[in-house]
Amino acid sequence: MKSLHVEGDTFLHRLPAGLKLAGLAAVSLLLFLLHSPLLLAVAAVAGIGLYAMLGLGWRNSWQRLRVILLTIVVVSAFTLVINSPVDAAAVFFRLIALFLFAATITATTSTGDFIAVVTTAAKPLEKTGLITASDIGLAIGLVIRFLPEVLGRYQAIRDAHHARGLKPKPLTLAVPLIILTLRNADEIAAAIDARGIRSQK
Amino acid sequence: MSTRDLVLAALFAAIIVALGLVPPIMLGFIPVPITAQSLGVMLAGVILGAKRGGLAVLLVLVLVAIGLPVLSGGRGGLATFFLPTAGYLVGWFFAAVVTGYCSEHFVDRSQNGIVQIAGFFLAALLGGVVVDHLMGIAYLAFGTGTGLATAFLGDLAFVPGDVLKAMIAALAGRAVMVGYPLLPQRA
Amino acid sequence: MFMLSSTLPFLHLMSIEPANEGPGLDIRFEQAEARFEGRTVLHPLTLSLTERRIGVIGLNGSGKTTFARMINGLVLPAAGRVSVDGFDTSKDGDQVRALAGFIFQNPQNQIVLPILKEDIALGLSTRKLSKTEKEAAVSGILARFGIQHLADRRVHELSGGELQLAALASVLVTKPEILIMDEPTNQLDLRNRGLVEKTIYGLEENILVITHDLDLIDGFDRVLCFHEGRLAADGLPGDVIARYRKIAA
Repeated sequence: MKSLHVEGDTFLHRLPAGLKLAGLAAVSLLLFLLHSPLLLAVAAVAGIGLYAMLGLGWRNSWQRLRVILLTIVVVSAFTLVINSPVDAAAVFFRLIALFLFAATITATTSTGDFIAVVTTAAKPLEKTGLITASDIGLAIGLVIRFLPEVLGRYQAIRDAHHARGLKPKPLTLAVPLIILTLRNADEIAAAIDARGIRSQK
Repeated sequence: MSTRDLVLAALFAAIIVALGLVPPIMLGFIPVPITAQSLGVMLAGVILGAKRGGLAVLLVLVLVAIGLPVLSGGRGGLATFFLPTAGYLVGWFFAAVVTGYCSEHFVDRSQNGIVQIAGFFLAALLGGVVVDHLMGIAYLAFGTGTGLATAFLGDLAFVPGDVLKAMIAALAGRAVMVGYPLLPQRA
Repeated sequence: MFMLSSTLPFLHLMSIEPANEGPGLDIRFEQAEARFEGRTVLHPLTLSLTERRIGVIGLNGSGKTTFARMINGLVLPAAGRVSVDGFDTSKDGDQVRALAGFIFQNPQNQIVLPILKEDIALGLSTRKLSKTEKEAAVSGILARFGIQHLADRRVHELSGGELQLAALASVLVTKPEILIMDEPTNQLDLRNRGLVEKTIYGLEENILVITHDLDLIDGFDRVLCFHEGRLAADGLPGDVIARYRKIAA
């Protein structure tokens, strides 16, 4: 599965992931507190500027962003109808700004860096006794590892439907997919335990 | 958490991602296309219970956050958490936990099929429809400044589709319980 | 019942010491019994394993898989005791699993991270090694099985045979004393089966292999045959296989 990460060497690429995420959180808070369409428009322009630094070009960017931009337009239109033009403009610019800032961070941070941040952030969770930070990394790895097999199984089940002249329906697709996939859990878990991966030494 | 629980949650997260690939279907009387991914969220609760179902959905949300296009339509990345629909997305986690908790307490292997399906249906409704939609509406209303009334009206269009999904989840829950029971028995 | 291979008498002396060196390991079952959902799956068993290559055969459901899984502590005895080099599987599970590696039937289910070399390195994650040391260990073990060219590959692209070799690498990178294999070639096609079998024969480590492939264990030091939860035969391959054929007929 290809990530949304974009290769490059801008200053954003070089910033630590944790810093970027903290920055995003701070900026989002700020944007939600602002109500002036003018100020929010400035933020939106800043967002466009940052995203442009990725060097993707108009066509590529449009491909990536169009579905979400459509949603933003729809919501703003709703606000226009129900509330005032000023409110609609504020909503529109705020969402554009937030969305572009977030998309830029996603594009300039590698999957590995993200996982490292998630693992560090999960350390407080260890106190609940439910899960350890390294378990999170293992769990994420497991999902990415087995995703192609699950997708392949889904295709095979769909093909089996077609071969028998049945129309694929959510129920008849989901049940075999679930049972066939989860059946492997015992052996996978046994293999992990046999290798002593989760033992605290 | 046992290794088996961790693996079950991770495998189910992969299933939820795979369900994002099922093309949305249009049913005549429902104005919006029905996607299968939120069905996956209800299934996680119904089949794995609160703890593992919640972890499965949490893993999907983490994958979205780290930039993998795992949401239906190939969407992903941090930006999706700022969209107007972000409340529904984050709500998935709470939906799975509530559906899981209710499933564990309402449904029992000793009950007959109809009772089990009814129990799962109620659990899926409470989690996947009530809790998820409430959170979706909350963010839509306050987060984007559209106001509660609009948000509530906008949400109504999605309720019939999700009620249908709750029914599918209930039937699937019963089928899996017969074939490969995994739900912790707590009733 | 033979406890020693008659061609290697010094093994008897080595099995008295709890040390880990030498070709013989000391695995002991002391009236060890296994139960599952109230049923006895393995009746109380007492034996000692010190041979270098041990085969385990039996019909499906005979208890052979349970037996193997009791050695590395995946299954704990309901009564009695199982120990590896003095370590009790019920109390010292971590040490036991460091000594005994385990290979399962389904190659897909043993590699758990998406990129091969990351999965191999995972086995070393609990050891205190530097990054370069880990990288060297990973390259070394991959080279040993001739799959270093697959190091950066996505695991789902590998064939069953390549995956089983990868599983061997992932388990042997931590240098266990004995490798237990539960029907390692069962899920493989003919070509991959030959490849993995050849590799198994070339292993320097102690091995205990459960298999339906009687040719594979023909040259082993000792073979155990299980039937209905009990040890039906124990000794040299020729004798035990003959007994197994009578049982299976």
